[in-house]
Amino acid sequence: MTPLDKRSLILLVAGFTLWSLAFVLLYVLQALGCAYDWSHHRLILIAAYLASLLPLAWLALQRSRDRGATTSLSTAALWANRAAFAAGVLVFAPVTFGSMCL
Amino acid sequence: MSQTPTPLRLHKELDRIWRTPPGIHRLSSVNHTVLGKRFMVVALCFFAIGGLLSMLIRAQLATPNSAFIGPELYNQIFTMHGTVMMFLFAIPMFEGFVIYMLPKMLGARDMAFPRLTAYGFWCYLFGGLILIGAMLAGVAPNGGWFMYTPLSSKPYTPGINADVWLLGITFVEISAVTAAIEIFVSILKMRAPGMSLTRMPLMGWYMLVTSGMMIIGFPPLILGSILLELERAFELPFFDPTRGGDPLLWQHLFWLFGHPEVYIIFLPAAGALSTIIPVFAQRPILGYRAIIAAIVAMGFLSFGLWVHHMFTVGIPHLALAFFSAASALVAIPTAVQIFAWLGTLASGRPRWDIPMLYVFGFFFVFVIGGLTGVMLAMVPFNTQAHDTYFVVAHLHYVLVGGFVFPMLAGIYHWMPHISGRQSLYRLSIPAFWLIFIGFNLTFFLMHLTGLMGMPRRISTYPSNWGWDWLNLLSSVGGFILTMGFALVLADMVLQFRFGRFFRRDPWSAQTLEWATATPPPSYNFAAIPRIDRRADQLEPAKIGPVLAGGSGYLGFARNGDQETMGVEMTTGAPEHVIILPRRTFLPLWTALATASFFLALLFGLYGLTPFGALLTLVLFLLWPTTLGQKKDFGPVSIGMGETAVLDVECTSNVSILANRAALVMNGTLFSSLLFGGLFLLVVAPNWQGIAPLDLPIWLAVVAVLAASLSALCCWMARRANTAGNSAGVPLALAGLGQLVALGLLVGLMVWVPQPTEHARQAVIFVVLGYAALHCGLAALMAFHALLRLHQGYLSARRQTECILAWLWNGYAAGATCLALGLSLLLAMMGQIP
Amino acid sequence: MFWGAAALFALVMALFAITYLRREWLERLSPAQWIVGGGLILPMPILVLLTGTALVLGEQLLPHGNAPVRIEAHAERWHWTFTYPGGAPMADDVLHIPAGEPVDIVVTAGDVIHAFWVPRLGGKIDAIPGHTNTIRLQADKPGTYWGQCAEYCGEGHDTMFFRVEAHLPDDYARLIPGAAQ
Repeated sequence: MTPLDKRSLILLVAGFTLWSLAFVLLYVLQALGCAYDWSHHRLILIAAYLASLLPLAWLALQRSRDRGATTSLSTAALWANRAAFAAGVLVFAPVTFGSMCL
Repeated sequence: MSQTPTPLRLHKELDRIWRTPPGIHRLSSVNHTVLGKRFMVVALCFFAIGGLLSMLIRAQLATPNSAFIGPELYNQIFTMHGTVMMFLFAIPMFEGFVIYMLPKMLGARDMAFPRLTAYGFWCYLFGGLILIGAMLAGVAPNGGWFMYTPLSSKPYTPGINADVWLLGITFVEISAVTAAIEIFVSILKMRAPGMSLTRMPLMGWYMLVTSGMMIIGFPPLILGSILLELERAFELPFFDPTRGGDPLLWQHLFWLFGHPEVYIIFLPAAGALSTIIPVFAQRPILGYRAIIAAIVAMGFLSFGLWVHHMFTVGIPHLALAFFSAASALVAIPTAVQIFAWLGTLASGRPRWDIPMLYVFGFFFVFVIGGLTGVMLAMVPFNTQAHDTYFVVAHLHYVLVGGFVFPMLAGIYHWMPHISGRQSLYRLSIPAFWLIFIGFNLTFFLMHLTGLMGMPRRISTYPSNWGWDWLNLLSSVGGFILTMGFALVLADMVLQFRFGRFFRRDPWSAQTLEWATATPPPSYNFAAIPRIDRRADQLEPAKIGPVLAGGSGYLGFARNGDQETMGVEMTTGAPEHVIILPRRTFLPLWTALATASFFLALLFGLYGLTPFGALLTLVLFLLWPTTLGQKKDFGPVSIGMGETAVLDVECTSNVSILANRAALVMNGTLFSSLLFGGLFLLVVAPNWQGIAPLDLPIWLAVVAVLAASLSALCCWMARRANTAGNSAGVPLALAGLGQLVALGLLVGLMVWVPQPTEHARQAVIFVVLGYAALHCGLAALMAFHALLRLHQGYLSARRQTECILAWLWNGYAAGATCLALGLSLLLAMMGQIP
Repeated sequence: MFWGAAALFALVMALFAITYLRREWLERLSPAQWIVGGGLILPMPILVLLTGTALVLGEQLLPHGNAPVRIEAHAERWHWTFTYPGGAPMADDVLHIPAGEPVDIVVTAGDVIHAFWVPRLGGKIDAIPGHTNTIRLQADKPGTYWGQCAEYCGEGHDTMFFRVEAHLPDDYARLIPGAAQ
């Protein structure tokens, strides 16, 4: 019970922690690209977008390892991680079309 | 330990240990029930002050070309209204509520650090008094409650007005910082045995996330205040664009705190709603797990919104798009909660009573505020509505809807718990309608004035623009609103004076706080229950008397110690016995010393500040002297036929967890500082044409080595201590090593050429200062552990001080590396002329 | 946006009323239906559409490329100075623009933060010392529009107005000779 619960507790915040890191990363890349006039600015941003979605997607697909051992906490964690993935897809999507430095 | 005493005898024995004696000794109280009430009473006083200020604002704006108060005074009044309501009312109010209620809901006898609660209270009170005193003296802050630079910088606010804000608020924030850590640790470690995280009432989850957000959210504001005060007092140009600073840095730091802050205020109120609604729906909350996920989502998303206060500062559209999307998205977890509450009502057997009337007020007002929030998340709409009365209307709908209405519902729900009496119910109904109608009249019309082009923060307006009658009606509404609040106040006084007594649990609520006697005894529970189901489905009326009889955990008075249970974080299995410190005047003295430091800064008596700081430090060093054990006890009885070790013999005790949390908070402050430096480097104007500095690299390398070796020594000390060997030598070496690092870092600070000339030097100077401070603290922790070892407080089982020394030394080493890294990077900037 | 918000508000209020007045209408809804229906299915499409539209609209309002007319606006406590191409700064708190064509206003500040805002022309931009911001405006009809400082800037904030005069292009060319190309 204990290790499973601890794992769920970590999973509960894992997705959104990654989301926050991706947020900071993209915001920093956007600012740096404008400040130093990068030539492949949008490509870099899109690459970072896709790269940050991978771990989020992986987390969103994590079911509890042992069947039947789903606790309330692990369910909440799964939902939180799916929400984080969705938030990642939607919030960062503008990298594909937004005006980067205007 | 006595043999099964009668409930009355047990009550007397426990009360003798826990109670606060009358007279002057009240000032030494560290009891959470006493302090929670004090927090709430003081917060309500500040609410009244803030309310009076808003009356002045509405009186001024009632008519065009008003000459009631001039712009000079008006600017102070609206600044103070915002500041008082946010920092002196909203945050302390929920802190007080949580400090009072949380241990009772979770089955503990107090918070984790009772003396820190008291210290926080005194800091709050003194800081608040500084602000109010300044207002009475006519030198209140006048830069708006978000204090934008350069308006709040020295050239444009030469008086002490801005210093009052920066120092007063930072002083008050000490209480928020201490409360955040305390709440976080108390929720994780101090619950009734058997209450696993998933059996915790939702209030516990709400507060867990809120305290986590406070741990991350407050440091940017505190850092911003420190930097701005450094700029004002010592000319270090962080925000001055002519010397490589940037006014936008302040806005980022402020809103990085300021937006999560809104959710920090809303979440406890939502927690109260999630507790009250099931009681009146007469069924458990619907969607417990979904709400947990929603709270977590909300907590994180709220950190990705801050730039929506800055849509018009000229940030590229792509970056705005991130923040716009996140701002819209945060509506989803809110909607999940709203519909969970509606669903709970719909699928239960709802009862109608006074708290529900105010819950209805919440739904009405908050939903409007949420919808205008989504509108403001849209960039094109925002750029038009930003800084107009539309925003004023929106923020009042959100904050009054999301905090004041739930708070009033909470007052009517829990007041019987505090007073032991039930309300007479006559005044609360007209009071509600006055507040409700007055509020909507005042603020709904502000949406219109805003859309008609009325900007915020103007003290007067011409009469030909069609804003006259709307403003007049707003003012009328404001006065109706005030009458409603006056009625609530009268109702509260009447309830305390004349209310009916009741036995236990007047609402048939199902959470643990109603299992205490009412008003609650100083120790809360004569025995701590074992929880075998979700703790919002208990039967307080049944278990209350059982606990009062002493059946449960720790149902006895032992050695005159204040004992409560410490549990395993997730499962809630009994883990250790926490012995809490007794009441003392130390928090008051320490807060007074801290106040002397802040006052010396405020009045520019910089020569005196080191004394205040030193006095505070010395007093803090006295705190641990009454804690700890000089021998190993091994497992002791905790009742129910079970045993557990004392807190000092457990390596997952509250002190260690709290220090970890404090380091996370500290780390957030430091990362904000590092990001601030990099932000200036990348974005700020006037960085061309500066020459590189040749930082003495060998000094930096030796400092990093000294700090790192000290950390290594602490790690070895910890290992030696665990293995039963003496940790004396490595601890002494660690302390000395950190002192060497401290000396070198101070040397480097002295070396920085003209820190007032350019933000680059100023950042290096402050970053080095931060590292120096932490090397000093690490040395202190190492020497403290050495002293405790010498006095016999440490053993292979009692490791706390050793672990703390390792944590702080490791942190100092890391901070030194990063600080010197950034310093080198900044020093290299520029062209050789 | 207003009608959508009004409808959503009415929905929530109606549900709240029904829970007390006509409980049997809602009893058959399961917890999942409440949360997934109300919390996800209802708001999600609205938010995605709304945000998407707003972002596209926002893109169109950006000053892409160079507008034919570019005027500098400089804010200092508590008045505005406008400089036209090839002209001297004019510190009379009046901004002349041609009607019917986009105009770029390049906004700067000399002391504290101000904000350039003409309510009827839409949108605002902050004037921040050390930064240069650009906003693109278009007055469809000639006439007088009021503008004001929207960011609190101290004691004179109340009266930091300016006037925008939009002229027919020909009149404008006569008035400000150097301005049009």
